[in-house]
Amino acid sequence: MNKYLDLSIKEINELLKNKKIKPIDLVNEAIERIENSDLNAFITLDKEGAIKKAKELEDKEVDNLLFGIPIALKDNIVTKGLLTTAASHILDNFIPIYDATVVEKINDANMIIIGKTNMDEFAMGSTSRTSYYGAPLNPWDKTRVTGGSSGGSAACVSARLVPFALGSDTGGSIRQPSSYCGIVGMKPTYGRVSRYGLIAFGSSLDQIGPMTRNVYENACLLNVISGRDDKDLTSSHAKVEDFTRKIGNSIKGMKIAVPNFFMSDIVDDEVKDKVNEIIELLKKEGASIDYIDIDYLENAVTLYQIIGMGEASSNLARFDGVKFGFSIKEPKNVDDLYGKTRGEGFGEEVKRRIMVGSYLLSGENAKIYYNKALQIRNGIRESFKKAFEKYDLIIGPNATTVAYSQDEGLNDPLRSFYDDALVFPANMAGLPGMNVPIGFNNDNLPIGLQIIGNVWDEATMYQLASFIEGKLELNLDPREVK
Amino acid sequence: MEYKKTIGIEIHCELKTNTKIYSDSINGYGTTANSNVNVVDLGYPGTLPTLNENVIRTALKAALILNCDINKIMHFDRKNYFYPDLPKGYQITQAETPIGVNGYVMIEVDGTPKKVRIHDIHIEEDTCKSIHYKHHSFLDFNRAGVPLIEIVTEADMNTPEEAMAYVEKLRELFLYADISDCKIEEGSMRCDVNISISKTDELGTRAEIKNIGSISNVGRAIVKEAERQEELLENGEEVCFATYRYDEKNDKTIMMRVKEAGNDYRYFPEPDIPFVEITDEMIKEVKDSIPMLAGERRKEYEKRGITTLNANKIIQNRIISNYLNLFLDTDINFVIASNLLLGDISAYLNKSEKSIFDTNLYKDKFIDVVNKLDKGSINSKVFKDILVDLMETDDSVDEIIANKGIKIISDPNELINVIKTVLDNNASSVSDYKGGNERVIKYLMGQIMKETKGSANPELVNKLLLEELNK
Repeated sequence: MNKYLDLSIKEINELLKNKKIKPIDLVNEAIERIENSDLNAFITLDKEGAIKKAKELEDKEVDNLLFGIPIALKDNIVTKGLLTTAASHILDNFIPIYDATVVEKINDANMIIIGKTNMDEFAMGSTSRTSYYGAPLNPWDKTRVTGGSSGGSAACVSARLVPFALGSDTGGSIRQPSSYCGIVGMKPTYGRVSRYGLIAFGSSLDQIGPMTRNVYENACLLNVISGRDDKDLTSSHAKVEDFTRKIGNSIKGMKIAVPNFFMSDIVDDEVKDKVNEIIELLKKEGASIDYIDIDYLENAVTLYQIIGMGEASSNLARFDGVKFGFSIKEPKNVDDLYGKTRGEGFGEEVKRRIMVGSYLLSGENAKIYYNKALQIRNGIRESFKKAFEKYDLIIGPNATTVAYSQDEGLNDPLRSFYDDALVFPANMAGLPGMNVPIGFNNDNLPIGLQIIGNVWDEATMYQLASFIEGKLELNLDPREVK
Repeated sequence: MEYKKTIGIEIHCELKTNTKIYSDSINGYGTTANSNVNVVDLGYPGTLPTLNENVIRTALKAALILNCDINKIMHFDRKNYFYPDLPKGYQITQAETPIGVNGYVMIEVDGTPKKVRIHDIHIEEDTCKSIHYKHHSFLDFNRAGVPLIEIVTEADMNTPEEAMAYVEKLRELFLYADISDCKIEEGSMRCDVNISISKTDELGTRAEIKNIGSISNVGRAIVKEAERQEELLENGEEVCFATYRYDEKNDKTIMMRVKEAGNDYRYFPEPDIPFVEITDEMIKEVKDSIPMLAGERRKEYEKRGITTLNANKIIQNRIISNYLNLFLDTDINFVIASNLLLGDISAYLNKSEKSIFDTNLYKDKFIDVVNKLDKGSINSKVFKDILVDLMETDDSVDEIIANKGIKIISDPNELINVIKTVLDNNASSVSDYKGGNERVIKYLMGQIMKETKGSANPELVNKLLLEELNK
């Protein structure tokens, strides 16, 4: 068996350009790896579509670095003619009639979509266990969760089934599973990537982003999917410059802040220790590190619950069994159709969030909770803004722990929120946040560093992440660590 | 003591934009069902709204015409509820920052002016049209996403006449400003009336009458609903806070559903549409684009001698009015011009199903023909004869008259002979005139025109006839 997919993208690109291999070789290898994998990382494998696309590309010139490379998409990204479930029973027969904007961009770059990855139902969760299709497994230890909600995307990149995946991040759903699975994941600045065709969860928080094996390739994929889209009014006109442009630059003199909250008691010592090692490394390299307080940071969990669930309760209203997706047979009347379709179609966590969100927006509650949350959210934005007047980047852990057991915390609906306390702030402030692996705990489970950048400054984040990656030279291939 | 009525009105108007409000589908409700629909209109998973700038401009125009304060930073809100005709499970509307607030409109009933205050005017999207057939319901998504503005008054009206005058005034304003075609019967303008009655200053419980199908029915519905409420109150019963419709056939209001207290639409700011800034520049541009409105036109016409009746007739036909306005800076005789436009020209246009702007009746030709009629160098019979050519050829008025072989006798000598003959043949009329009966002049004129087969210059004949009679 060939192992082209273990090569770097640059190496694969050379082979393609020199006609040593064809895109179909990569597709066949990916399909074989996915079919032989027991990680439950995919909901849909599009063999036929991927092979067809690979054949089409044979006649085309290799016009860019990502040409012919297989990519997996989180199953809440709409793909024309290809089942898109959002890991929900209510969409388990939903074949969209249009492509998300990122899908068009992926196709324009002549990348090959290999399938749709497993996730928490409607991206609601942080272990991917709320999936209607069962949870994906962590390649480092199959008894552990992948994290979520982009668990399938994290698992398939980590296990080297494909080099690239897209995830979405409403409250850490790219960064946290990337941390648990030992890969690089970027949640770009809100507005950097079009949300058109992303099945909405929390519209003011959602952002699609790249999940990859390393920093450079992550920046390359972000290059492909970024940019203003007139179909998404919240997408930005901000100039898209090559995100790899600062990779390799010295970090000497870089001003970095560590929020005290990020290193507080809520974080496990084994995680803190690794982060402290990195802090020492950065100091040694001539970067300055300051510990700072950022106002309202500790409120991000509550804000996420109010804003995220409020928006979700409205966004999920359209799944009513009338126009698409699952619909119960022989309803007595319209109310019966709504009630039973939604009652049977949605899973427990989704229903819980719809109910909480509806309650929060109800009558006077909207003023007490939702409007108040928007105010405090502005407060977080402002305090980050102030911090970025002084600092280039903010760092800390992504997750309070390493990946935990598949059986843990199942009966504690709040657990996942508090586990994610460190990832919510970037969503609240619309800032870019990423994960870069920085080591392992004693059980050989990955630990990740979160880097938060100023708006539109992903390039500087990649600069730092790439420096750390280069210094550590970690072996991040779970197949080789048994 | 009489019960006093308190009336407030909510009006929805469809805006005349090319595309829908939140997608680029054609705004073409009324064409084949579900032909102007895309994934955004269907509320497909993953789709997002865009925002049609023309909707903002048109709504802004309406807000300015209604003397509203403009919310210069405005946003949209989601109104959440489940209904089959609502594709997304929420309507994108404006709750917190309507484009216009605190406006007013002046109405007039029996010569008494009254100010009706506008609470707000906001922008929103229309829902699907539900069509019920036997045991099935069908949805037409062509209407989903059609831009609407809703105009909400304060409860400032007290009589059916005032309510009707308000609706009529709004319709006239919006028609003339090209905001909506305001066809109540076809649903592009929809009226909901809130009415309560009371003998004291404390307002009674109100009832809402939804979707009244014509302006006259607005009046009828108010009369009937007030009667119904009065009967209840007189019998010691209570008015129920509910929604009604007006049944035209039976001339009464019928309850549709009881309003539940605190209807909970879970409003919150629409996160998919960024805040919209209405700049002073945009306000100025829109203000400058507002054409002369009906009230001002009426004044201009009456100032030029057109009767109120005819002025109103012209205003009812906006295209004719626009045409007539081309001549506001000329000194043609507006009475003649308006008579032509309302009479023979309208008849021609109706028959040929043309707009006057699609005919060959160019500005210069119209001025020429009106002046000729004014001076008496042609008469209305000649006008009728040359009308089709005026409308359909590029020939000048003189050329048409010449081509048609129409002779206009303006030679006094020739006319004097005819006049003398007629007077000789009508000696008794002449003596009647001498005896002080001036009415015979009309008769004699008629005889002379008959004798000349209508080709005599009437002004000249009149002058010569009087000279002859007074000799």
